[in-house]
Amino acid sequence: MANADIKLKIPSAVFYIDPVRAFVGNLAKDLGFSRKRVADIQLVVDEICSNAVHHGSIDATGGVKLQIRINTRSLEILVRDTGSRYEGQNSWLTHERLSEIEANRSPSNESGHGIFIAKSLSDTYEIQANAAGGTDVRVVFELLVPTNIQPS
Amino acid sequence: MKLREESGIKILEITTDLSSYAASDLRKVLEGLLAEKTEKVVVNLSQVSHINSTAVGALVGVAKRLRQSGGDLKICALADNLTRTFNLIGASSVVEIYESENSALAAF
Repeated sequence: MANADIKLKIPSAVFYIDPVRAFVGNLAKDLGFSRKRVADIQLVVDEICSNAVHHGSIDATGGVKLQIRINTRSLEILVRDTGSRYEGQNSWLTHERLSEIEANRSPSNESGHGIFIAKSLSDTYEIQANAAGGTDVRVVFELLVPTNIQPS
Repeated sequence: MKLREESGIKILEITTDLSSYAASDLRKVLEGLLAEKTEKVVVNLSQVSHINSTAVGALVGVAKRLRQSGGDLKICALADNLTRTFNLIGASSVVEIYESENSALAAF
Protein backbone atom coordinates (compact mmCIF):
# COMPACT_ATOMS: atom_id res chain seq x y z
CA MET A 1 0.00 0.00 0.00
CA ALA A 2 1.57 3.30 -1.10
CA ASN A 3 2.06 6.12 1.37
CA ALA A 4 2.19 9.80 0.55
CA ASP A 5 3.96 12.19 2.90
CA ILE A 6 3.27 15.87 3.37
CA LYS A 7 5.75 17.86 5.41
CA LEU A 8 5.03 21.22 7.01
CA LYS A 9 6.99 23.48 9.31
CA ILE A 10 5.37 26.36 11.16
CA PRO A 11 6.85 28.95 13.50
CA SER A 12 6.20 28.11 17.15
CA ALA A 13 3.27 30.50 17.46
CA VAL A 14 -0.42 29.77 17.91
CA PHE A 15 -1.30 32.00 14.96
CA TYR A 16 -0.12 29.26 12.58
CA ILE A 17 -2.16 26.44 14.11
CA ASP A 18 -5.47 27.50 12.52
CA PRO A 19 -4.19 27.17 8.93
CA VAL A 20 -2.76 23.74 9.77
CA ARG A 21 -6.05 22.69 11.34
CA ALA A 22 -7.95 23.83 8.24
CA PHE A 23 -5.53 22.01 5.92
CA VAL A 24 -5.70 18.75 7.84
CA GLY A 25 -9.49 19.04 8.05
CA ASN A 26 -9.83 19.39 4.30
CA LEU A 27 -7.45 16.50 3.75
CA ALA A 28 -9.37 14.27 6.16
CA LYS A 29 -12.65 15.18 4.49
CA ASP A 30 -11.25 14.35 1.05
CA LEU A 31 -9.95 11.04 2.35
CA GLY A 32 -13.49 10.10 3.28
CA PHE A 33 -13.57 10.59 7.03
CA SER A 34 -17.02 11.37 8.42
CA ARG A 35 -17.88 14.92 9.42
CA LYS A 36 -17.74 13.89 13.08
CA ARG A 37 -14.34 12.26 12.62
CA VAL A 38 -13.00 15.30 10.74
CA ALA A 39 -13.93 17.44 13.75
CA ASP A 40 -12.14 14.96 16.03
CA ILE A 41 -9.01 15.04 13.86
CA GLN A 42 -9.00 18.84 13.76
CA LEU A 43 -9.34 19.02 17.54
CA VAL A 44 -6.46 16.58 18.06
CA VAL A 45 -4.25 18.55 15.65
CA ASP A 46 -5.10 21.76 17.50
CA GLU A 47 -4.28 20.19 20.88
CA ILE A 48 -0.95 18.59 19.98
CA CYS A 49 0.22 21.63 18.01
CA SER A 50 -0.78 23.89 20.90
CA ASN A 51 1.24 21.75 23.29
CA ALA A 52 4.22 21.86 20.92
CA VAL A 53 4.02 25.67 20.70
CA HIS A 54 3.38 26.33 24.40
CA HIS A 55 5.53 23.65 25.99
CA GLY A 56 7.93 22.44 23.33
CA SER A 57 9.59 25.55 22.01
CA ILE A 58 11.98 28.11 23.41
CA ASP A 59 10.56 30.80 21.12
CA ALA A 60 8.85 31.18 17.75
CA THR A 61 12.05 30.48 15.85
CA GLY A 62 12.18 26.92 17.20
CA GLY A 63 9.47 25.83 14.85
CA VAL A 64 7.09 22.89 14.92
CA LYS A 65 7.37 20.22 12.23
CA LEU A 66 4.48 18.14 11.01
CA GLN A 67 4.68 15.01 8.92
CA ILE A 68 1.34 13.92 7.56
CA ARG A 69 1.24 10.45 6.04
CA ILE A 70 -1.78 9.27 4.12
CA ASN A 71 -2.70 6.03 2.44
CA THR A 72 -5.91 4.29 1.52
CA ARG A 73 -6.56 3.17 5.09
CA SER A 74 -5.36 5.89 7.45
CA LEU A 75 -4.23 9.40 8.17
CA GLU A 76 -1.13 9.65 10.34
CA ILE A 77 0.16 12.89 11.85
CA LEU A 78 3.52 13.34 13.54
CA VAL A 79 4.13 16.60 15.39
CA ARG A 80 7.72 17.30 16.35
CA ASP A 81 8.90 20.10 18.64
CA THR A 82 12.40 21.05 19.74
CA GLY A 83 11.89 21.17 23.50
CA SER A 84 11.91 24.20 25.73
CA ARG A 85 15.12 23.32 27.60
CA TYR A 86 14.31 25.08 30.82
CA GLU A 87 17.40 25.67 32.90
CA GLY A 88 19.66 24.00 30.39
CA GLN A 89 17.84 20.68 30.46
CA ASN A 90 16.13 18.94 27.60
CA SER A 91 12.48 19.04 28.39
CA TRP A 92 10.77 16.47 26.28
CA LEU A 93 7.53 15.28 27.76
CA THR A 94 8.74 12.27 29.76
CA HIS A 95 6.47 9.34 30.54
CA GLU A 96 6.70 10.30 34.21
CA ARG A 97 5.53 13.82 33.44
CA LEU A 98 2.81 12.40 31.20
CA SER A 99 1.57 10.15 34.00
CA GLU A 100 1.58 13.11 36.37
CA ILE A 101 -0.48 15.23 33.97
CA GLU A 102 -2.97 12.41 33.46
CA ALA A 103 -3.28 11.68 37.17
CA ASN A 104 -3.93 15.33 37.97
CA ARG A 105 -6.42 15.96 35.18
CA SER A 106 -9.77 17.16 36.45
CA PRO A 107 -12.79 18.58 34.59
CA SER A 108 -12.59 21.67 36.77
CA ASN A 109 -8.96 22.35 35.83
CA GLU A 110 -8.32 25.08 33.28
CA SER A 111 -5.51 23.18 31.58
CA GLY A 112 -4.00 19.73 31.20
CA HIS A 113 -6.66 18.29 28.87
CA GLY A 114 -4.82 18.30 25.54
CA ILE A 115 -3.04 14.96 25.83
CA PHE A 116 -6.19 13.32 27.20
CA ILE A 117 -8.16 14.57 24.20
CA ALA A 118 -5.52 13.40 21.71
CA LYS A 119 -5.36 9.95 23.31
CA SER A 120 -9.12 9.65 23.52
CA LEU A 121 -9.93 10.65 19.96
CA SER A 122 -7.12 9.03 17.97
CA ASP A 123 -6.89 5.34 17.08
CA THR A 124 -3.18 5.30 17.89
CA TYR A 125 -1.32 7.74 20.13
CA GLU A 126 2.42 7.58 20.70
CA ILE A 127 4.80 9.96 22.38
CA GLN A 128 8.58 9.81 22.53
CA ALA A 129 11.69 11.91 22.87
CA ASN A 130 13.37 13.09 19.68
CA ALA A 131 16.99 13.83 18.83
CA ALA A 132 16.44 17.59 19.14
CA GLY A 133 15.60 17.24 22.84
CA GLY A 134 11.93 17.78 22.18
CA THR A 135 8.85 15.62 21.88
CA ASP A 136 7.40 13.63 18.99
CA VAL A 137 3.68 13.00 19.15
CA ARG A 138 2.26 10.57 16.59
CA VAL A 139 -1.43 10.02 16.10
CA VAL A 140 -3.19 7.77 13.61
CA PHE A 141 -6.79 7.86 12.46
CA GLU A 142 -8.06 4.77 10.69
CA LEU A 143 -10.56 4.93 7.86
CA LEU A 144 -13.52 2.61 8.39
CA VAL A 145 -13.83 2.18 4.64
CA PRO A 146 -10.62 2.36 2.56
CA THR A 147 -10.56 5.43 0.36
CA ASN A 148 -10.35 5.20 -3.40
CA ILE A 149 -7.85 8.05 -3.48
CA GLN A 150 -4.46 7.03 -4.81
CA PRO A 151 -2.13 9.31 -2.83
CA SER A 152 0.95 8.47 -4.85
CA MET B 1 -16.64 38.73 19.61
CA LYS B 2 -19.71 40.82 20.34
CA LEU B 3 -20.61 41.94 23.84
CA ARG B 4 -24.03 43.23 24.83
CA GLU B 5 -26.13 43.43 27.97
CA GLU B 6 -29.67 42.35 28.73
CA SER B 7 -31.35 42.73 32.13
CA GLY B 8 -28.00 43.10 33.86
CA ILE B 9 -26.53 40.01 32.20
CA LYS B 10 -23.54 40.35 29.89
CA ILE B 11 -23.95 38.30 26.72
CA LEU B 12 -20.76 37.43 24.90
CA GLU B 13 -21.38 36.23 21.38
CA ILE B 14 -18.39 34.42 19.94
CA THR B 15 -18.07 34.93 16.20
CA THR B 16 -14.98 32.87 15.46
CA ASP B 17 -13.75 29.34 16.02
CA LEU B 18 -12.00 28.96 19.36
CA SER B 19 -8.58 27.51 18.67
CA SER B 20 -5.51 28.55 20.66
CA TYR B 21 -5.14 31.91 18.94
CA ALA B 22 -8.74 32.98 19.53
CA ALA B 23 -8.78 31.40 23.00
CA SER B 24 -6.24 33.99 24.06
CA ASP B 25 -8.62 36.78 22.97
CA LEU B 26 -11.50 35.04 24.73
CA ARG B 27 -9.52 34.90 27.95
CA LYS B 28 -8.71 38.62 27.70
CA VAL B 29 -12.36 39.55 27.20
CA LEU B 30 -13.47 37.34 30.10
CA GLU B 31 -10.73 38.74 32.34
CA GLY B 32 -11.98 42.22 31.41
CA LEU B 33 -15.48 41.28 32.53
CA LEU B 34 -14.11 40.03 35.84
CA ALA B 35 -12.17 43.27 36.28
CA GLU B 36 -15.41 45.23 35.72
CA LYS B 37 -17.01 43.21 38.55
CA THR B 38 -19.47 41.63 36.15
CA GLU B 39 -21.44 38.91 37.93
CA LYS B 40 -23.61 37.27 35.30
CA VAL B 41 -22.34 36.18 31.91
CA VAL B 42 -23.86 34.15 29.08
CA VAL B 43 -21.49 32.96 26.36
CA ASN B 44 -23.28 32.25 23.09
CA LEU B 45 -21.39 29.72 20.96
CA SER B 46 -23.93 29.38 18.14
CA GLN B 47 -21.45 30.63 15.52
CA VAL B 48 -18.57 28.45 16.72
CA SER B 49 -17.73 25.20 14.93
CA HIS B 50 -14.52 24.37 16.80
CA ILE B 51 -13.36 24.77 20.38
CA ASN B 52 -10.17 23.48 21.97
CA SER B 53 -9.31 22.70 25.56
CA THR B 54 -7.62 26.08 26.12
CA ALA B 55 -10.87 27.90 25.37
CA VAL B 56 -12.92 25.43 27.42
CA GLY B 57 -10.46 25.95 30.27
CA ALA B 58 -10.88 29.72 30.07
CA LEU B 59 -14.67 29.37 30.30
CA VAL B 60 -14.42 26.91 33.20
CA GLY B 61 -11.97 29.13 35.06
CA VAL B 62 -14.08 32.26 34.76
CA ALA B 63 -17.27 30.39 35.69
CA LYS B 64 -15.59 29.19 38.89
CA ARG B 65 -14.33 32.66 39.77
CA LEU B 66 -17.73 34.27 39.12
CA ARG B 67 -19.42 31.74 41.40
CA GLN B 68 -17.07 32.66 44.20
CA SER B 69 -18.57 36.17 44.09
CA GLY B 70 -22.16 35.00 43.73
CA GLY B 71 -22.36 35.20 39.96
CA ASP B 72 -22.03 32.64 37.19
CA LEU B 73 -21.12 32.04 33.57
CA LYS B 74 -23.48 29.95 31.48
CA ILE B 75 -22.91 28.66 27.97
CA CYS B 76 -25.48 28.21 25.23
CA ALA B 77 -26.14 27.02 21.67
CA LEU B 78 -23.38 24.46 21.24
CA ALA B 79 -22.95 22.52 18.01
CA ASP B 80 -22.82 18.74 18.45
CA ASN B 81 -19.03 18.52 18.19
CA LEU B 82 -18.62 21.26 20.81
CA THR B 83 -20.93 19.38 23.15
CA ARG B 84 -18.79 16.28 22.62
CA THR B 85 -15.64 18.25 23.50
CA PHE B 86 -17.21 19.61 26.69
CA ASN B 87 -18.43 16.11 27.61
CA LEU B 88 -15.07 14.50 26.84
CA ILE B 89 -13.19 16.93 29.08
CA GLY B 90 -15.93 16.71 31.68
CA ALA B 91 -16.51 20.46 31.60
CA SER B 92 -20.24 19.97 31.08
CA SER B 93 -20.40 18.93 34.72
CA VAL B 94 -18.69 22.16 35.78
CA VAL B 95 -20.31 24.78 33.54
CA GLU B 96 -24.04 25.01 32.92
CA ILE B 97 -24.90 24.50 29.25
CA TYR B 98 -28.21 25.54 27.67
CA GLU B 99 -29.74 24.92 24.28
CA SER B 100 -30.56 28.56 23.61
CA GLU B 101 -29.57 32.03 24.73
CA ASN B 102 -33.06 32.64 26.11
CA SER B 103 -32.95 29.53 28.26
CA ALA B 104 -29.50 30.50 29.57
CA LEU B 105 -30.74 34.01 30.43
CA ALA B 106 -33.84 32.59 32.09
CA ALA B 107 -31.69 30.33 34.28
CA PHE B 108 -30.25 33.33 36.16
